[in-house]
Amino acid sequence: MSWTIFIASMPELLVAALGTLKMTALAFIFAAILGLVLAILRMSGGVAGRFAFGYIEVVRGTPALTLLFLIYFGLVPLGIVLQAFPAAVVALGLNGAAYLAEIYRAGIQAVDRGQREAAQMIGLRRREVMRYVILPQSLPAVLPPMGNYLVSLLKDTSIASLISAPELMLRSRDLAGTYYLPMEYYLLAGAMYLVMAWPMMHGVRRLERHFARGRLEGNRA
Amino acid sequence: MSAWLTVWDMLPVLLFGAVTTVKVTAGGFVVAVLIGLCCAIMLRLRSRLLRAAVAVYVDVFRAIPVLTQLFIIYFGLTEIGIRLDPIPAAIVGFGINGGAYMTEVFRAGIESVHQGQLEAAQMLGMTRLAAMRIIILPQAMRVVLPPLGNFAIGLLKDTALASAVAAPELMFRARNMVDKTFLATQIFSATAVIYLAMSLPLGYLTRRAEARVSRGHR
Repeated sequence: MSWTIFIASMPELLVAALGTLKMTALAFIFAAILGLVLAILRMSGGVAGRFAFGYIEVVRGTPALTLLFLIYFGLVPLGIVLQAFPAAVVALGLNGAAYLAEIYRAGIQAVDRGQREAAQMIGLRRREVMRYVILPQSLPAVLPPMGNYLVSLLKDTSIASLISAPELMLRSRDLAGTYYLPMEYYLLAGAMYLVMAWPMMHGVRRLERHFARGRLEGNRA
Repeated sequence: MSAWLTVWDMLPVLLFGAVTTVKVTAGGFVVAVLIGLCCAIMLRLRSRLLRAAVAVYVDVFRAIPVLTQLFIIYFGLTEIGIRLDPIPAAIVGFGINGGAYMTEVFRAGIESVHQGQLEAAQMLGMTRLAAMRIIILPQAMRVVLPPLGNFAIGLLKDTALASAVAAPELMFRARNMVDKTFLATQIFSATAVIYLAMSLPLGYLTRRAEARVSRGHR
């Protein structure tokens, strides 16, 4: 086994890891915003609510890979040709929005009803009630699962390699094929994912502990 | 419209793939549950080394994409002379990956059972393992079942990744068909519908099972 090959391919892999991080960040922002819209629509009821419910159920019931292929290959006959990277961001974002919508909904519903009633009593408008009273209080129930979602999104970006989007897994596959060192390169890729995901997992755990402590103290008071 | 009719003709091939999807899911699920159960029990044993090993396993395998793990098992192992067929490779890959998640699930389930239950069982003369099997685990099921069901649904969808190691499951068949016919929109839509037709009933069953085991509580 020659270490020189690895050292020579490190810059390439690091650039690819940056691509992974960029894809994760963009898809996360996309999913966070669309998820909030879906959650609010779903809770508002009516036709829009039913549409949001249907969207969430369908997306959560199908693999992200199917959605990715539908967006990258399936839209071409309709005249929509996306590059691999944006297609991956859109697919992972659309997929994640369904999960985040459910996380938001659970968080919002965890806020006591009395809070909304009290806020309306003192004359806040619907929008203000949501923004200043409900959403801030839903954070302890929302942030930890949101963090978990971020970790799984980071790992899920690896499927973008199947449509040749430039990220860590694609580069590893290229290099593994070129030098025929699959074990070494895939282990290396795994180690790099580990280095990226571990701090996030650790952060989520701290967040969980932080909020759990707050709740216990609140109960005691 | 005729394109959709073509897809109708391909439906048997896709359904054939769906059967393999179910097989890989079931195989991976069983392996994951067995690993998770063993590891969760090991976490309750006194050996510090064993506990540390389980903790490392859980953290490492949850931090690495399952696709990477599949590639290590399917392509990587050939380098050291271990050549697995695609379906066994997928089952092993999903099983080992899922085992890390299942360890956490069973650990939480076991911890949810009151400590006094174990003490009482030991007072009656049961060994730790017997107490675990007869007293603790049945009570842990109430906490374990919901995440277990969600894991099964997640796994069903994740098996689509096995198409990347050429396991002839639903997604692999779909990709093959698209390569032959270029009907990406129609075929991948039909594939999504088939996945939905498998995961929705699974979700329904999970909810029913949950309702059943939590009857009489709360």
